[in-house]
Amino acid sequence: MLWIALHCPTLSLDWIERRFPVALIPAMAATIRKGNQVYIRQANKPAQQQGVAAHQPLATALSLFPDLVVVEHDPHEEMKALREAAYAAFRFTPHVVMQGSGLITEVSASLKLFGGLKKLCRLLNQAVATQGLQLCVGIAPTAKGAWLLAQSAPLKTVINGAGSRFRSLLDSLPIHLLASAQPYLEVIRGIGCKTLADLRQLPRGGLARRFGPDLLIELDRACGDLPDPQQWLEVPEYFQQKTELMSQVESVELIWVPVQRMIGQMCGWLSLRHAAVLEFSFILHHEYSLRQPHKSTPLHIKLSEQSDDAEHLMLLLRERLGRMEIVAPVCGLELIANQITAGTNPHLELFPTSQSEATSLNRFIEKVSSRLGPQAITGLNVIPDHRPECSQRFRPLEMSRESDASCRKAAPLASMCSSVRPAWLMEAPLELKVQRHQPVYGSPLKLIAGPERIEAGWWDDAPVARDYFIAENTLGQLLWIYREHNSAAGNNGNGWYLQGLFG
Amino acid sequence: MSTLASPSLPLAPLSLLQIETQFRDRIWRGDISGSAPDLVISSGFNELDKALPGGGWSPCSLTELLLPAEGLGEIRLLSPSLERITRKGRNILLVSPPHIPYMPAWENLNIDSRRIVMIRVDSPIERLWVLEQGIKSAAFGAIIGWLPGISQPMTRKLQIIVRTAASLVFLFRPASAQFEPSAAPLRILLGSVRQPMLSVRLLKRRGSPIDLPIYIPLSARPFPSFMTSSATLAHA
Repeated sequence: MLWIALHCPTLSLDWIERRFPVALIPAMAATIRKGNQVYIRQANKPAQQQGVAAHQPLATALSLFPDLVVVEHDPHEEMKALREAAYAAFRFTPHVVMQGSGLITEVSASLKLFGGLKKLCRLLNQAVATQGLQLCVGIAPTAKGAWLLAQSAPLKTVINGAGSRFRSLLDSLPIHLLASAQPYLEVIRGIGCKTLADLRQLPRGGLARRFGPDLLIELDRACGDLPDPQQWLEVPEYFQQKTELMSQVESVELIWVPVQRMIGQMCGWLSLRHAAVLEFSFILHHEYSLRQPHKSTPLHIKLSEQSDDAEHLMLLLRERLGRMEIVAPVCGLELIANQITAGTNPHLELFPTSQSEATSLNRFIEKVSSRLGPQAITGLNVIPDHRPECSQRFRPLEMSRESDASCRKAAPLASMCSSVRPAWLMEAPLELKVQRHQPVYGSPLKLIAGPERIEAGWWDDAPVARDYFIAENTLGQLLWIYREHNSAAGNNGNGWYLQGLFG
Repeated sequence: MSTLASPSLPLAPLSLLQIETQFRDRIWRGDISGSAPDLVISSGFNELDKALPGGGWSPCSLTELLLPAEGLGEIRLLSPSLERITRKGRNILLVSPPHIPYMPAWENLNIDSRRIVMIRVDSPIERLWVLEQGIKSAAFGAIIGWLPGISQPMTRKLQIIVRTAASLVFLFRPASAQFEPSAAPLRILLGSVRQPMLSVRLLKRRGSPIDLPIYIPLSARPFPSFMTSSATLAHA
């Protein structure tokens, strides 16, 4: 077993700091009530610069810096922040335990997939730190040991206790880190014990009598001498995360960081479920006021192909958000996975196959239609009709699935039109000038083939009766031109039209 | 040849043959047509294949086709390679073609119309973006873009992306662009002599330049036998 513990010593401030845009974090301090007095529990950097420090009475702190933002210690919100961070950690291991102000993860099964302990530790640290927590990390063969090491580590550092160094590292730890030793710290210090090694040298019977059995159990579990069952964090079957913002945001750029966090959480949750998302909703919540009626702006994103790739989902969301206008200041964000499906891991293919080519086509379609709109990207369907303008139709490519692609493959080739047709068709037939009974396009046209009569469409409202010719001009362009052949009306006039070009 | 030998080499100057074997992949000679290291796709015309570096269209370089006007036979010129690509089951991306591609005609050229993906955008920046995305994705065997107002930095940017791509990339530009500099390693000016002949002038290629245009007889496939018979204008 190998455990990585992530301890967040500043959790009581981090949970609220992460709701601010980085540039706008004010001087803040978390407080705790002790009897009648309120004390500063933790102060953030800007507050510390003003002289506010932990263990000060609140009145002292406010007299030092009157604009201090005071946050009451809120274990519920802290747990919520930690839980969200745990979602991000699920990307690396399904075994996550919530412990006090941090997480403990069991990673022995994930080492190979993520390229070794060092890499995995870095990735895990990064993923959780992206959630807005400041971490210190401990690695050890026991859960308790990793947690103790993480608690003793300075901010943003890693103590690696894997392997033979574990015992000596553990022995040198101070006693105040042990949770069960908290009531007896004075006594233990009084008998001259400073480190865990000192404590372990004392007779066990005496220790158990003086300090209760819990201290010995904790000590043994940390060393790995006693089994240490853990209760893994369990998550619900659905994904719905809501983030409140501390400031009114009106630009997309500023919600970018929380969006990234939420997508990270969703991808962690998806990989825990071995699933991929097919459809998700992103909702911008607006503050309610009488002046603006919008309560929220929902954004539904349908994927043509399941995905659990955070980068891809971010890209889609970015394109959609970039095109959207924010109608009112945003105060909250919500992300919901509407539809999920069993996922596959496409990165395990050695050679690109037709499957992966179809995947990349779908991704391309998604990317383009999320930026330019679905009408911008089309395929063309051939329809058996003699009238050129009716013989093909734009086919939206928005939702072409793999099954679609295969049935496209199986479909017989469209009816082959054996007669001469131009590669380019004009949007609408272009009326040509006529000089001396000769149609002109650039220069007078020379007819080189024809006529070919197309007379069709009497069954619907667009009948045509035309004589088509192939013509050439001096530039060398080959044109497909026609003349209305309308015997009924008798105006067999000079109207020449350009319908296409032979590309 | 002594200019080629750097001071760190041994004193005795290397013979030309030695230099060539030593730096085989890194030098190319100016007098022969450059070779493309990758799998080229034959253009389908013998004369053109002989003139193209590597003997066909190369997937790792940008090809610029300069065209005075549409309708000279540009699609028929590309059709043999496009046919081969769709037959392999790969897709073709058309970015903002000037007119509507008429699929029955493309089918006549044996290009599978179900493999055609078309994108219609107006703004030049979006066109460039779509082209870039298309080149970066592995979904397409060929990408054809119409970019009338592309600038030299843009072509350089495209060429850098194309180097890692696995698709043929063709860029249609107006013939007036032949006097502007471009980063595309292959620039071809198309012009018509007399249908169905197409004159192809390689303005720029890897290897020695050629001045004379190549005349390519375009396939008569879109034109059945009556092509040659002169039509008479009954009512003119």
